[in-house]
Amino acid sequence: MQTERWHFPLWLWYALLCIFWWGLWGFLSKIGSVSANPLQMQVLFTLGMLPVALGMLLQMRWKLDRNLGGATYGILSGVATGLGTLGYYAALHEQDASVVTPLTGLFPVLTIVLAFIVLRERLNKVQMGGMVLALAAIVVLSI
Amino acid sequence: MIHSMAYVGFAIVLWGVCGLFMKLGTNRVSARSMVIWVTVGFVILLPFMWKFTSLAGLSAVVVSVGMLAGLLNGLGNWAVFACLEKGAKASVAIPLTALYPLFTVFLATVFLRERPTSLQWLGIVLALAGGAMLSYEPAIPAKSPEEPSPCVQ
Repeated sequence: MQTERWHFPLWLWYALLCIFWWGLWGFLSKIGSVSANPLQMQVLFTLGMLPVALGMLLQMRWKLDRNLGGATYGILSGVATGLGTLGYYAALHEQDASVVTPLTGLFPVLTIVLAFIVLRERLNKVQMGGMVLALAAIVVLSI
Repeated sequence: MIHSMAYVGFAIVLWGVCGLFMKLGTNRVSARSMVIWVTVGFVILLPFMWKFTSLAGLSAVVVSVGMLAGLLNGLGNWAVFACLEKGAKASVAIPLTALYPLFTVFLATVFLRERPTSLQWLGIVLALAGGAMLSYEPAIPAKSPEEPSPCVQ
């Protein structure tokens, strides 16, 4: 019989840590974007990511996982994020941020749909309710 | 209008697909390796971006702030990969971590003395409730080893 008692999974710590780091990133981006344009910020972000990658490589004693599929998905993630950001800035060039940002904030919907189809992931009812509230929050916070 | 919506669609598709790539990648390599491969993806775009911009004229402070932001972004990437590596579903981890503006709003309130609007307060409440509900994972009962996993791992 399945117990419905809630527990704090390990992955949730990392999710909260991610929110912390990305929250700080958003804060510094806000400060930097007063003087630098979005493309300049994107270049600076990339340069700033290099020490993190180098630190990871040192921690792994230069033993990088070279699984072809993993490496391809990793590189594609970087390219897709970067190109998506350029598309976002191009949209901002032609339309108000109050329209563009809430709309692009809906990207997790596509991830959820793809995860449902490709990874066969299923959410419980509480998580589905949470997903709806989270999406509404993303839109409201980006207006 | 049509152009801007096309760009919006372009961003949504690429960022949305990226969430799937992140999960598929962490199913195959470690979170730390993913950080390196993702950085390679960003570096590939660097010469293209450099064609259209230059860092000339930016003060050392702005360059430092931008690079520090990039460093924090890299650490955030590692955390989301570790989250996926530790078993989080992409359909939970991606919308949950997309709530990071909540913390940005908090920092802006504390350090920049910005006051959240009533709409942002609504967003904060929705984000907290949504985040808590997304994180809800009932304890999984012990199952026999031969029972198949419901997700592709």
